[in-house]
Amino acid sequence: MEHPELRKYFDVKGPFAFLRLAQMKRAWKQKNRRELTWWENTYIPSVVSGIYLTSAHFFRNFTLHVLHAVGLLKDIPAAVTYQYPEQPRPLSSRTRTRHRLTKREDGSPRCVACMMCETVCPARCIEITAAEHPDPNIEKYPAEFILDLGKCVYCGFCVEVCPEDAIRMDTGKLDTSEYSRESMIYDKKRLMEE
Amino acid sequence: MQDIWIKLVLACATISTMFGIAGLLTWVERKQSAVMQDRIGANRASIFGFKALGLFHAIADVLKMLSKEEFIPQGANKFLFNIAPYLSVTFALVGFAAIPVGDQLIVGGKVIELQAANINIALLFIFAMMSMGIYGVVLAGFSSNNNYAFLGGMRGAAQMIAYEITMGAAIMGVVMVFNTLDLQALVRAQGEYLMGGWLPKWGVFVQPLAFVLFLTAATAETKRTPFDLPEGESEIVGYFVEYSGMKFGMFFMADLVETVLVSALMTTLFLGGWQVPYLHPDGFYFPWGGQVAVGQLAVTVLGVLAFFAKLTFFIGMLMAIRWTLPRFRYDQLMRLGWQILLPASLVNIAVTAIVLVLLR
Amino acid sequence: MPNLTIDGQKIEVPAGTTILQAAEKLGIEIPRYCYHPALPVAGNCRICMVEVEKQPKLQIACYTPVAAGMVVKTNSPKVLEARKTVLEFLLVNHPLDCPVCDQAGECKLQDYYMEHGQYDSRLASVKVKKEKKAFSIGPTVMLDQERCILCTRCVRFTDHITQTCEFGVFERGDHSQVDVYPGKELDNKYSGNVVDICPVGALTDKDFRFKCRVWYLDHTRSVCPGCSMGCNIDIDWDKSRPHTQKKERVMRLKPRHNPNVNNYWICDSGRYNYHFIDENRILSPQYLDKLVPWSEAVERIAEILQSTKPERIGVLASAQLTNEDLFVIRKLFKETLKAHVDFKAPERPGDSDDFLIKADKNPNTAGALAILGAQADAQTIVQKARQGELDLLYVFGHDLVKLFGEETVAQIARKVKLFVFQGSNINDTCGYAHLNLPGSVYAEKDGTFTNCQQRVQRIRPAFFPLGDSKGDWEIVSLLAGQLGSPLSYKDSQDVFNDIAKTVAGFAGMSYEKISDQGMVLKK
Repeated sequence: MEHPELRKYFDVKGPFAFLRLAQMKRAWKQKNRRELTWWENTYIPSVVSGIYLTSAHFFRNFTLHVLHAVGLLKDIPAAVTYQYPEQPRPLSSRTRTRHRLTKREDGSPRCVACMMCETVCPARCIEITAAEHPDPNIEKYPAEFILDLGKCVYCGFCVEVCPEDAIRMDTGKLDTSEYSRESMIYDKKRLMEE
Repeated sequence: MQDIWIKLVLACATISTMFGIAGLLTWVERKQSAVMQDRIGANRASIFGFKALGLFHAIADVLKMLSKEEFIPQGANKFLFNIAPYLSVTFALVGFAAIPVGDQLIVGGKVIELQAANINIALLFIFAMMSMGIYGVVLAGFSSNNNYAFLGGMRGAAQMIAYEITMGAAIMGVVMVFNTLDLQALVRAQGEYLMGGWLPKWGVFVQPLAFVLFLTAATAETKRTPFDLPEGESEIVGYFVEYSGMKFGMFFMADLVETVLVSALMTTLFLGGWQVPYLHPDGFYFPWGGQVAVGQLAVTVLGVLAFFAKLTFFIGMLMAIRWTLPRFRYDQLMRLGWQILLPASLVNIAVTAIVLVLLR
Repeated sequence: MPNLTIDGQKIEVPAGTTILQAAEKLGIEIPRYCYHPALPVAGNCRICMVEVEKQPKLQIACYTPVAAGMVVKTNSPKVLEARKTVLEFLLVNHPLDCPVCDQAGECKLQDYYMEHGQYDSRLASVKVKKEKKAFSIGPTVMLDQERCILCTRCVRFTDHITQTCEFGVFERGDHSQVDVYPGKELDNKYSGNVVDICPVGALTDKDFRFKCRVWYLDHTRSVCPGCSMGCNIDIDWDKSRPHTQKKERVMRLKPRHNPNVNNYWICDSGRYNYHFIDENRILSPQYLDKLVPWSEAVERIAEILQSTKPERIGVLASAQLTNEDLFVIRKLFKETLKAHVDFKAPERPGDSDDFLIKADKNPNTAGALAILGAQADAQTIVQKARQGELDLLYVFGHDLVKLFGEETVAQIARKVKLFVFQGSNINDTCGYAHLNLPGSVYAEKDGTFTNCQQRVQRIRPAFFPLGDSKGDWEIVSLLAGQLGSPLSYKDSQDVFNDIAKTVAGFAGMSYEKISDQGMVLKK
């Protein structure tokens, strides 16, 4: 649309016409690229403007850092980074973080060991052992619920598939780092903590 | 005998200062780039909970490199492989011997030039040493028994030779104007003034084109971005891929030492070295008529300070360039070196010569 | 022979055939809950309703006999609507138990809901709950009345097949529930079958309960080795989840339909007789007290065999072995070595009835007779061994301690130069044998059994032999190789083809022809 020359391409038809159009636009821009002037060709204006930009940032941030050090302008940040372990990045409420098993009112897991999560898990990181619950109205419960976070890919399928809302990924914990593979394996007790 | 001791002290002071600056630069570079990119930069290393803005990272890095395994690849030429990093660092450091850091110091009637070695062909000496530095690069690439390292070394050699010529040709203008190869004499000659005493007769004012050419060539000579094709740590793989531990550290240091050397050279050639504007041996004489008397020792100290201030300016500038510009393509690099910078520097020589003849 | 049209396809069937059976012949599947081909028709679930032209109402396909000129539609809008409605009705009080229900995955309610239901629930009131949820009604079966859709298959099974009449339907209307009669327990010999025929999860197997979800199971067609009836079974096994099954591979056995042998049924002792497959196995050849590699084990036997006379070799084969195993034993020991080979053990006859359970607890007695021929009792060999007339006694699977007593076996072990025991599981005899060789169990073998009806039936390997164990005929042919008279059989099929060529009764048979239904031995 921007240029009359493009108009002749607009009768492109078919389901992928938009792709073809985008390709043509790019080609047109490539072909009709503006020639650089001699001054631009010396590379000097780009160098100068580049250094101007970085230096501007440098001096702005540097000044702010110095001012922060003496206690001024604390609310204008000098850096856009998060100082991770001390200052974790705020997570969206939808973020999939470490799993937990939800509980019934009496503190036992809601899980009924239906194995849906174990079945759907693409990483095969869940291992459930079912057992008969003394209460026939609950009937089935997980005698063992093992989740290997070393294998987990955090896809959230287990949460999606759970018919009892028994597993959730809302602990807000992302940094499960351990010194051994064994300690990455979470059992029922660890998954129900906190 | 006394002369030798004085020279020895001076040499040690020069080398340790320059090496210290280079070491500090590892931290400066990280911090400067961080601040430039809206980050904080290295700030985790601490001694007893005291962080000192991450200054200890320089020490931590050295400790890390010293404690790492020194790996020599199978099939490498051990002798050349071991000697290459030392060549790089040594020749970069030796260059400092001829850089005058200040005016003469008079202690007890004895005149001491603040220059480790006052050679009358100092400029040629420095260039000779810088050219020797190429051996470090080529030998490292050649002896690693690694095709990538070999190609890196080849790129390095081609680049350094190409830009060395431009560098040499660029300073010819300065040498012609000041009529000397002795750096101390060259700095002294820059103490004169142009335009009725307003403008110092610094290299940058009498040879602006030569300055631009030298700056470009010198950046290339230090093998830093945008001219870091020989190294290209993460993408194109450079001549020291096979080096680990402190040997790698030495290449890294050689880089920074060269940066300091080149900055010192630019200071000396183009920014009047230790010259402070309007400061004469006995005090300030301002062009607007003011006059402040300054003691002889103070003048020397001011000169040394001025030298380091200018040095810092150039280092800062090289760092800013390094963290701003993207890398050249290899053909662009070669075209720039051979087809633009070299002819430009030759034209500069010719024009300078004609002007000098006409002015005589 | 009336002619009729079902969904536009013409078919001619004998008079008295129902629409459902006729449709089945055409490959048209009509949904059913209460209908079971082996049980009398009840016609109470109403899901099989089809449209018959010129009849005002829909008819149940399972009980309507075909008539000449009938035009039946099994998927007209009216039929589909009826199915949906029936499903909705059946599911009104059905609990949403699927997560904890063992039937989930092979449940007809789930299947038909996905195929024909898919409606939005209109139920506003609370589902009717029964007094008890899941409770035991016998040694093998659990009952959950809430899940029951009252198809009465289990009632008809106990009434007509076992004729023990444990089940009944009690109460009326939506209070109706299936239960055992007061004071009675479901403890007949075929009780496990009610779990198989229950189309929903109302009856569940205690043995299989919560052990494994059915979608993890793999199925291998096989034959029950429990008695000489040779009921056809499916071995349901799972190796992918070792954490939940205590290293067991077989999860359950299910009867497989074979109209000539067991129809749809299997007895309980056969159904639960699978734990020996993974428990108490001999895993590696053992000479005296130390584990030895196969090469050394075979060498030890060969040493004795080469240095002794044929009449001083005694081989006690077993009717637990497949025809292939027995044939290779015959080849080596009987034909090559001319040794004394026998298979009959003086076992006490076991439990039996006139339906499926036979007194002879060996699956291949008929096959052994056909291949090795009728011979004297094992008593002879044992006596010889006891009196020191044998240098080598080679026993396949028999527990001699149980048969002849501890003293006799101890004596044999002292008198015989080499006492070899080859079998799958550890028993008392292993302790006396000098050399124990690990054989594989039937679930790991490819081969054939011949049942009491002289029917040769195929068993298939579900998984690889446990540990270092090997198929019995493979061990024997290993030994043959060591003796310098190698048998060049690639696999069981190769052996069987040789049987078909050599043994008269097996003439003309092959694995392809035996297939799933078996073939009867020729007289």
